[in-house]
Amino acid sequence: MSVIEYDVIVIGAGTAGLTATAWLAEQKLRVALVTAGEPTACLSTGCIDVCSRDDQPLAGIAGLPDGHPFHRVSPEMLGQSLDDFRQMMADMDMPYKGALEKNRRVLSAIGTFKNTCLVPATMEASPQSDDERIHLITFTGLKDFYPGYILSRFPNASFSSYDAGVSTTMGIAANFEDSAFLETFLLWLERQKIREDKIAFPAVLGLESAFSVLKQIESRLERPVFEIPTLPPSMPGRRLFNAMKDHLRRRGGVIYWNWPVVGVERSGRQIEAVTTEAQGRPNSLNARAFILSTGSFVGGGLYAKRDRIVEKVFDLPVFAPENRDDWFDQDYFSMNHGIGQAGIAVDDAFCPTDSPWNNIFVCGSILARTETLKNGCGHGFAIATGRAAARSCLERLK
Amino acid sequence: MTFEHCIRCTICVENCPVFRVQPDFPGPKQAGPDAQRFRIGREKSIDDWVLLCSQCKRCEMACPCGVEPAQIILRVQQRYGLEHPHTPAHLLFANNYYLSALGSMTAPLANRMAASNIGKKILGQMGIATYIPFPKFSFQTLSREKKNRNRGERKVAFFYGCFINFYRPDIGRKIIRMLQSFHINVVLPPQVCCGLPALGNGNLALARTFARKNVASLSNYIDAGYDIVYTCTSCGLCLLQDYQGILEIPEAKKIAENCYDLHEYLLKLIAEREIHPVFREVNRTLAYHIPCHLRALKIGYPAADLMKRIPDLDFTILDDACCGLSGSYGFKKTNEAAALQLGERAVSLVRKTGAAAIISDCGSCRMQMGGLSGMDAFDPAEILCESLGIRDKK
Ligand SMILES: Cc1cc2nc3c(=O)[nH]c(=O)nc-3n(C[C@H](O)[C@H](O)[C@H](O)COP(=O)(O)OP(=O)(O)OC[C@H]3O[C@@H](n4cnc5c(N)ncnc54)[C@H](O)[C@@H]3O)c2cc1C
Ligand code: SF4
Ligand code: SF4
Ligand code: SF4
Repeated sequence: MSVIEYDVIVIGAGTAGLTATAWLAEQKLRVALVTAGEPTACLSTGCIDVCSRDDQPLAGIAGLPDGHPFHRVSPEMLGQSLDDFRQMMADMDMPYKGALEKNRRVLSAIGTFKNTCLVPATMEASPQSDDERIHLITFTGLKDFYPGYILSRFPNASFSSYDAGVSTTMGIAANFEDSAFLETFLLWLERQKIREDKIAFPAVLGLESAFSVLKQIESRLERPVFEIPTLPPSMPGRRLFNAMKDHLRRRGGVIYWNWPVVGVERSGRQIEAVTTEAQGRPNSLNARAFILSTGSFVGGGLYAKRDRIVEKVFDLPVFAPENRDDWFDQDYFSMNHGIGQAGIAVDDAFCPTDSPWNNIFVCGSILARTETLKNGCGHGFAIATGRAAARSCLERLK
Repeated sequence: MTFEHCIRCTICVENCPVFRVQPDFPGPKQAGPDAQRFRIGREKSIDDWVLLCSQCKRCEMACPCGVEPAQIILRVQQRYGLEHPHTPAHLLFANNYYLSALGSMTAPLANRMAASNIGKKILGQMGIATYIPFPKFSFQTLSREKKNRNRGERKVAFFYGCFINFYRPDIGRKIIRMLQSFHINVVLPPQVCCGLPALGNGNLALARTFARKNVASLSNYIDAGYDIVYTCTSCGLCLLQDYQGILEIPEAKKIAENCYDLHEYLLKLIAEREIHPVFREVNRTLAYHIPCHLRALKIGYPAADLMKRIPDLDFTILDDACCGLSGSYGFKKTNEAAALQLGERAVSLVRKTGAAAIISDCGSCRMQMGGLSGMDAFDPAEILCESLGIRDKK
């Protein structure tokens, strides 16, 4: 057994875990993040949903049912964590736009609008209504983006198609990192004689340099340009994840990849260590406190058996609608599947209630009653609770 | 190997370096779990694109569901190798151990051959790329070193691997001297190539032969109270993962349990207060290119943890890019373009950090990154030795 010692171990590298780890590293704690794999952020649009059920996030949060974990985050904490997030992304040259006061709309790849709070600057010019005049650029052979969906809903839109030599999101994005490719592309674009007010792209304008690529297109074509998030592989989601990860490293945090936590060492009311498999000897990660941010079902933190739902790391008690018949609604696309409420119930310090352990803190979408989909509580909720749980963990350690 | 667990999230695809630059490769999801459901039958494998996977294992590191696309593909590669004649390049690199042994016995001549235009042409016709210089064979290999005994209690059997043995025995000698400076007994057990190149070129039988020899030898040393220490991360992955896994070597578990990465081993001894190295300043700004196979070993980045103890040393960890060479992968003409494109991206990330030199645990990463950037590329052990004041004898 290889033994590694830290002050805090964070489990799960989603938006919540990344936020918590980076903040604790900033407070000069010795902190490590262990994760099974990459998080749901990579599948996302990169937009930060705080509470999308209402036009105003703050009003939306106020209207959440009693017992929703968002009520445990103070407005100051929420504001501060999102300000810090924006500062971090700006430092990485991937600025975000938007404000807590009002949600904005982002055009989706199927021509509908998505309500969200903060958007990557590459989506800032996204239309706010379907009568805007936009010109879509698509790429020959790109399977994950059909302009027809948008054209059918936007009467004043048209499109042209460019052959980038490759036909995958990743391949095209990699090409945009190359200045010679960009220049050839710009010359082609200028020849298209585009008349519409704005130019739209599927989100493939580069891996990490998208913002600067977009600015170059805007200045050459002299009109606003924006990206439309695509199905996974989603470049804006990956940019978000990569930036949060780099930020964490710069703050001195350590990440262990592909280390699913498989065991726990306990003593009295304390968790002493978590263990992970390795090729040779298992690793034992000792710490004074543990933050659980393993996500809900998609992330892998929760697992549904026939009769009950289990939390996979500490086997914490899971809150879920008591009657199994209430787990699912008749309508597949319904927002009211009861199982969306499943998760870990916590107190004001983000410690699990009804649990024997006093050094575990929980954050992100694994929290009970979050209902990510129904309430539009996505990354914004994960960032805010990640920060709140980390602060309460720090206070406990002092 | 549980392809049924795939949720088709495409996270592995986003992490596949080859998929990004090689349009003929369908990516880990399709080549791995997706195609696997059609491979149950007895038909001959016809998907020659499986050979385009470089076995960097990045897909596995990223998958949130524990599917192992690289492992699935590796097995299909072996099956493909069984069912199809091997190309000269595949044969050559599978047998790279024998070839290198020959090369270093005739080092001056072999080096001149490989560097000459005629030599390059021959290599080219065999399907071997020559965009970075072929590594130079070393005349005085490590395996010819005289045994040096110390009076310490710790006993280490050093698995140095082909790269150090044939091309950079100086690094091997420094590592031995460093271990000895901590009063550790170091021996060089009888050993051959770990077998990874054979595996990577679809030659399962040869890989197994190598593995059996090594296991027989190392196992004796373990019984006699030695810890096995390796330094090349790809050798390490082969010893720890493939011997137990695809090669199905009995006793492989024992090897895995007693095998340590050099830096992991030093950290362990420090933690157990057995050794107390005093690190002196090293005034360098470095970019640490993490080899894909170090990630896949799941031991964290132990060399980084050690180097953090060196005063004045400034280094940035880069683990998002594969250097593209992947052992012998990039040396094949069919992979040359992809390897170059990947290498250049990895180098551009290094340049962004403002580092003056590169460090990496993997010899082939160093060859690729150093060759393409013109920068110095060191083994982390060299930096440790610099800090500890340990030099090669000569
Ligand atoms: C397809 C999809 C699209 C989405 N799009 C958006 C969007 O556009 N905007 C938005 O705001 N929100 C979006 N969301 C919601 C958002 O992604 C999540 O609400 C939020 O990111 C949750 O983050 P998290 O940190 O709680 O967990 P997750 O992102 O689920 O991460 C959990 C992490 O824990 C790791 N893990 C799990 N088990 C273990 C274990 N045993 N040991 C170690 N590690 C473990 C996992 O590998 C993973 O890395 C989307 C969600 C999905 C599924
Ligand atoms: S091992 Fe590497 S090259 Fe092969 S499929 Fe996985 S990520 Fe791609
Ligand atoms: S193999 Fe893993 S990462 Fe790849 S698509 Fe399937 S679940 Fe996702
Ligand atoms: S050569 Fe190095 S970077 Fe490239 S695949 Fe191998 S370990 Fe990874």
